[in-house]
Amino acid sequence: MKARIIESENVMKIVDLLMEKYEVIAPFSGLGRDSFFERVTDENKHLIKLHIPNPYYPPKRFVFPHIERMMRIRAGKDKIDIEPEYNVKPLAIFGIRSCDVAGIGHLDRFFLGGKYRDCYYEIRRKSLFLVNMVCSMPGVDITDECFCLCADTGPAARELFDLQLMDIGDVYLVVAGSMAGEEFLRDPIFKKATQEHVDRRRAILSEVRKQFKDTTSWFSATVRYVSQGAVLEKTWEEIGNRCLECGGCTYVCPACTCFTVSDRKSANGEVERVRIWDSCALGGFTRMAGGFNPRKAVHDRRNRRFYRKLAHYFIQRELSMACVGCGRCAAVCHGDVGMPAVVEMIRRATVQVEAK
Amino acid sequence: MAHKLTTCTFCGVGCGLYLETDGKNIFGAYPSMSHPTNRGRICIRGWHVHEVASAPDRLKKPLIKKNGTFVETTWDEAVNTVVQRLREIKEKYGSDSLAFLCSPRCSNEESYLLQKFARAVIGTNNVDHGTGVYGHNSINVLLEMIGVPASTNSIEELDKSEVIIVDGVDLGKQLPTIGGRVIRAHLNGAKVIVIDSRRHRVAENADIFLQIRPGTEYILYGAMCKIIYDKGLCNRSFIKGHCQDFDKFLESIRGYDLIGASDECGVAPDLIEKAATWYATAKNAAILYSTGIESRRVESIIGSVNLCLIAGQIGKEGAGIYPLTEHNNLQGVCDMGMIPSRFAGYYSVDDFAGRARLEKIWGKRLPTSPGLNARETLTHCGNGKIKAIWLCRYDPVSTAFFADAVSSLERAEFVVVQHLFKTATGDYADVILPCTAYGEEQVTFTNTERRIQLTAKAIEPLGEAIPAWKQICMIANAFGENWDYNTAADVMAEIGRVVPFYERASYDNLSADYGRQWPCTLEKPHGTKTLFADGDIPYKFKFLPLPGFTEQRMEEKDYPLQLIFGHSLYYWHRNVLIQHSEILKREYRILLLDYPEGFVEVNTSDAEKLKVRDGEKVQIVARTGSAVAAVRLTNEIRQGTVFVPYFLREVGEKILGRAINGQDYVPVRIQKLTT
Amino acid sequence: MNEKTEKNIYLPKIAILDRVVDEIKDVRTFYWHFEDPAEQEKFKRFLPGQFAQISIFGVGEFPASLPPSPTEKETFFTIRAVGTCTEALHRMKPGEKFGVRGPYGNGFPMDKYEGKNLVFVAGGIGLIPLRSCIIYAIENRDKYGKIQIFYGARTPAELMYRENLSQWEKQAGIECYLTVDRATDGWQGNVGVVGSLFKKPGVKVSVENTIAFVCGPPIMFRFVIKDLLEMGFSEDNIVSTLERYMKCGVGKCGHCCIGSAYVCVDGPVFTYRQIKKLGEDI
Repeated sequence: MKARIIESENVMKIVDLLMEKYEVIAPFSGLGRDSFFERVTDENKHLIKLHIPNPYYPPKRFVFPHIERMMRIRAGKDKIDIEPEYNVKPLAIFGIRSCDVAGIGHLDRFFLGGKYRDCYYEIRRKSLFLVNMVCSMPGVDITDECFCLCADTGPAARELFDLQLMDIGDVYLVVAGSMAGEEFLRDPIFKKATQEHVDRRRAILSEVRKQFKDTTSWFSATVRYVSQGAVLEKTWEEIGNRCLECGGCTYVCPACTCFTVSDRKSANGEVERVRIWDSCALGGFTRMAGGFNPRKAVHDRRNRRFYRKLAHYFIQRELSMACVGCGRCAAVCHGDVGMPAVVEMIRRATVQVEAK
Repeated sequence: MAHKLTTCTFCGVGCGLYLETDGKNIFGAYPSMSHPTNRGRICIRGWHVHEVASAPDRLKKPLIKKNGTFVETTWDEAVNTVVQRLREIKEKYGSDSLAFLCSPRCSNEESYLLQKFARAVIGTNNVDHGTGVYGHNSINVLLEMIGVPASTNSIEELDKSEVIIVDGVDLGKQLPTIGGRVIRAHLNGAKVIVIDSRRHRVAENADIFLQIRPGTEYILYGAMCKIIYDKGLCNRSFIKGHCQDFDKFLESIRGYDLIGASDECGVAPDLIEKAATWYATAKNAAILYSTGIESRRVESIIGSVNLCLIAGQIGKEGAGIYPLTEHNNLQGVCDMGMIPSRFAGYYSVDDFAGRARLEKIWGKRLPTSPGLNARETLTHCGNGKIKAIWLCRYDPVSTAFFADAVSSLERAEFVVVQHLFKTATGDYADVILPCTAYGEEQVTFTNTERRIQLTAKAIEPLGEAIPAWKQICMIANAFGENWDYNTAADVMAEIGRVVPFYERASYDNLSADYGRQWPCTLEKPHGTKTLFADGDIPYKFKFLPLPGFTEQRMEEKDYPLQLIFGHSLYYWHRNVLIQHSEILKREYRILLLDYPEGFVEVNTSDAEKLKVRDGEKVQIVARTGSAVAAVRLTNEIRQGTVFVPYFLREVGEKILGRAINGQDYVPVRIQKLTT
Repeated sequence: MNEKTEKNIYLPKIAILDRVVDEIKDVRTFYWHFEDPAEQEKFKRFLPGQFAQISIFGVGEFPASLPPSPTEKETFFTIRAVGTCTEALHRMKPGEKFGVRGPYGNGFPMDKYEGKNLVFVAGGIGLIPLRSCIIYAIENRDKYGKIQIFYGARTPAELMYRENLSQWEKQAGIECYLTVDRATDGWQGNVGVVGSLFKKPGVKVSVENTIAFVCGPPIMFRFVIKDLLEMGFSEDNIVSTLERYMKCGVGKCGHCCIGSAYVCVDGPVFTYRQIKKLGEDI
């Protein structure tokens, strides 16, 4: 990758360039430390903020929306018309974090891999341009909940982005990760980077890595315990007792993919088939018509979530782990049973048994 | 795409959340990380709160019943019809023949204007919000004992509580954000004491779980107070400096001995002693109880406030008493005076000074005697006294449990309904006025910690729907008034003049931060987080005596089990949101699908003795009547107690409907159905 | 049809209901065909044990096993009315249209089983998915060794596919044994659970070089597995088909995931060894 630089005061010119071809989404500040990804217009352009806490509503919704109309069905007298709906609007996400890029990578493997390819996802994904922003400011970009280092997805993504920006002081270092990115870098606003710039990047990243909690080894041990089925039933029950079944962890997770499909009668006598995010935390997720529910108890459902995310089998199946270390589940959980807390609980409980 | 900060309008927590919208549709909802109440967390209902606005069966135009069927009409015709009929009935039968009921989900603006219309224009105090008799218990007791009918502390302070008592509320299902706070406080070392006859999720995280017999809360509190006194753990300086009537109270708990109380309540005496000691010796300890339908008789609330006062656990961070409001604006609706015996601001209708003040501001004479409450209005149409009923966002046919809404509505000569959907109540209406939904108007709601918050207008109203508060203005003006509120902010400005503790709660002030907690006055424009803090106690708190302790529980041979009612899962009064959200509908229907005709929860050991199986239909027999339900075996319910969810119509009508007023359990027996 | 639509795995194709036949209480068989003959052609290449997703527009979608053998002329489903979607289907009349997507799932590997003896054990409506394999095996008789069918229901009124059952009882070259838990007037046959048929005098269950197909309610499943293992069947030679709540049928929505398998893509057919590893309640 050829590295380029751009002066810090010119970084927003990238947004202008993007707006020529794409609808641009960028991070903005809300009240307090709230932040969100929103569409950029000429009016709000000046409010874009790159160094803010990672927005909690995950950018996976730009390729996998919270609610998406799949098709419209018109039942006439003799004829039934089914009209699928696809979204082909080219979208550029400016300032997406490395953990979220990995999340989209996981979604790529899930929706486009296996026996079937999901066309709705594919169409959105094909017209997506990702400008990744490397997290370099602990306390601002990086919060207490982040653990991308454990999940090996950050703070700087290694692939799947089109462009990557990193703030190294007075300039931003820019690299391309795709053909589209390379094309983009041809613009004269980007200047050649020197070895000194690259060294600066390396030094900053090395410092930043030291700021993360030292739990890297815990993840791999937990994967082992979960895959071997060595986690105590008691631990799952403890986790279940703290879970309030809100579904938040699933909705904010960049690597969660479950959805439900529903037929809704729309206003003018049509039927629309929509798909909506669903969560395995909820009691009705596995309930069959007729009443049988294989995962009725809350701790059985929590068991399922962490097995799906941590078991070696699935990591191998998709060549990607369904946890990117963003820490949103920890932030959004009522009972503090997000991924970091559960990893710790599993490790503690299982180590004690092993010690016996 | 815009992201609008708004307030969730489901339960009394009022979590801060953002709506994602493109001006025409709302696409998503997610929590606000910095909101002091929920700090980045919302519950399953919050994640789907945006779905109601786009439901296909929303009413778009006013409806009038002509020859037995509903016909769409114009706003002019609808308003004129309403005005004409209300006038006719008022002239023929008098002001008190009209009744105005709203739901505890109504906004502050519409509640305020509705009671103003009822009182200043029609001239009646027949106003109420639909929770029935229990909600009023809390207001009256709190006003008398601590002078404020609301939580004394804030939800975020639970982080600092050393001890938290959760009394009779399933936080995990009703107010999950607070449940989460309690669970996390517990993880951080707080001691959690749960008092409930059902073992719920938060109870699994408790340090002490007092699974008491239903209805014995006041005995428990009385015993705890006596232990605290006997052990010399009262906060003497606090009692001496800030309370009155302590001796009378002390006299009343003389008979609450520990063993007797333990026997009555059905929990071990050492647990009661431990709970009392922990509470009294904690630096700060909080009591949470619910003012929802499941709740409390007067004695229980008195008991809990007495406990709070005897230990001096009020007026400091992390302490206090929280009468939790389960509906999102129960607090606001009461603040705005939708109570038959109180005006906005809690002034008694028969209090001369309070009434005179309001008469001066409104420029009208106001009625002086308390009106009929919702239960009375909807029982035989106020025993014949009520001829016209106005329902604001209220669907009593589906949700009013304690009265016979259907026959009352049929009997009334004129019924006007303001709602989003036709609802079951709509069938009995004469005029239906379509309201705006969540996300379509900017109005305010007051959550359970007195926080007055704005909701955002994210999209335009559907069809010809108009905000409910505006509809009330239109009708008042057609009546001859001159209500010139242009925006909801104007209504709030007047509320600020009428309700002293809303004085500075203007929209500008409210939008500067995450709303403001009242009292929000000129002296405290940023609102008040903790009441009575820093020694700011302007009057004396009052102890109230508890009833004499007698061995009440007679093992009723014929009716050995106690039947209690309550919420179940996400049932939530067949709430409008749940009906229109795919996932919520699926979740709430689980129990309904497993037990299509409802269920009665029976403890596994009781079921063994009765020889009944899960799913088996049984007869519940009470002194007043009997009903049939399917058995649901569970160990969550206490032995000797059976639980029935509120949606079981038959059980409600045949058993509770005729039960003694104010009783929170009914003695029953379960017997196999004789085929 | 444009390329996007062709690759759209969620798009149902229009099917027309031909006729409806009552089977047992709450269970009906629906004969149908695709509106587009090309789709019908493609679909007929399904494997025994696969399933399809049925769309009742405006109500929802649900999975249904395919009881016909690919060798049979007519396509049909046999469905019990147990929820909103299935009840909506039961209200439909011939000529009405609905949607079908499929076939999905792995199916029974009937070609791998060539040369082996086949034992079919079914209980109640568990016969529905197994019917496909039974008919297929009978129609390809010379490819398989012994064919033994053991089938039971709670009462005679609850026996499925009675026409087929009489054929199989009479057919030379295959053994068919029936039983009911509770006899009613007129029942002359065996009374007892399905497992009781194994020990009936005159019955010798083939074990060596045999594949056992088992399908039925959870209790029956557990007892039959016990019996088969005791007889000497290996866990790899016992196959069954699992049921789970499904929404997409193509391994994306996550509802049918058990342990490390997605029932709609890795199953619904599993060997008993695989089922044991999945580790959840069946």
